[in-house]
Amino acid sequence: MTDSAKTLTDADLLAAFSGGDRSAALELTQRLTPRVMGQAYRMLGNRAEAEDVAQEAMLRLWKIAPDWDPERAKVTTWLYRVVANLCTDRLRKSGRGVDIDSIEEPADTAPSVAETLQDKARAQALRSALCDLPERQAEAVTLRHLEDRSNPEIAEIMKTNVRTVESLIARGKRSLIARLAGRKAELGYEDDH
Amino acid sequence: MKMTTDIDEKMLNEAFAQMRVADPVPSEDLMNRIMLDADMVLADDATAPQRSKPGFGAMLLDVIGGWPTFSGLAAATVAGVWIGAVQPAALTDFSTELWGDTIEVPLLESDLFAALEG
Repeated sequence: MTDSAKTLTDADLLAAFSGGDRSAALELTQRLTPRVMGQAYRMLGNRAEAEDVAQEAMLRLWKIAPDWDPERAKVTTWLYRVVANLCTDRLRKSGRGVDIDSIEEPADTAPSVAETLQDKARAQALRSALCDLPERQAEAVTLRHLEDRSNPEIAEIMKTNVRTVESLIARGKRSLIARLAGRKAELGYEDDH
Repeated sequence: MKMTTDIDEKMLNEAFAQMRVADPVPSEDLMNRIMLDADMVLADDATAPQRSKPGFGAMLLDVIGGWPTFSGLAAATVAGVWIGAVQPAALTDFSTELWGDTIEVPLLESDLFAALEG
């Protein structure tokens, strides 16, 4: 498979993998793993566990490839559900929710905006505020603003309609702003604006 | 509910961006493990018995709608045999009146020759 693999859809690549094309698996791994890993990390708050879930979710993708029906779901939507279920199972078995204070800072040492203490504090404050939201609002906001999903796709994932999704996101964002507003000075927002 | 300002929206959007950046990057080791799994699944698929082309019987079954239809046909056939076997006397009398005497048609070839010779 060549550079043209970049232009193929996830479903096309999955079909190619099913036909024995290993490079299709490589492209899918590079394309999907960061998103899967990010979702698992946000749900579990632990890098090692998030990696295990990401590996398991991708293994399930490889196994379902021969039977994949592109008419039934998007690959990313299917993967989101698989990761959510795997994380929920782990949280349930260990009898814990996500303890926001226990979330590790990512080990990645590449220079980035998140390297600054203030940026880390802001990200942590948002995580904390998200955890305080009602579950449906938190899920809709996360899917829209962290997973970058479209509203119709969120509606499909959450088994509801687009208007409800819009409402959940709007209410969720208002609550987040209200929670962050009380910490503007602490998080350095007043200096920025 | 209090309306949000553009500054509040900007603050929130920046926080989302920072949180996305804070997502851990998958390690090289994880990517390798995922590809090893892919290789394993590919190898399993390659060694799994392939589905052979359907034979004539299977094609015929396909044409008539598969085993469910076939079993329906079989049931109807059995029912037909049974109805034939217990044909009521009144019906036999009626057919005799209509078509004349009952004739027997041997089913086996040897019976046919025996009948002709006799």
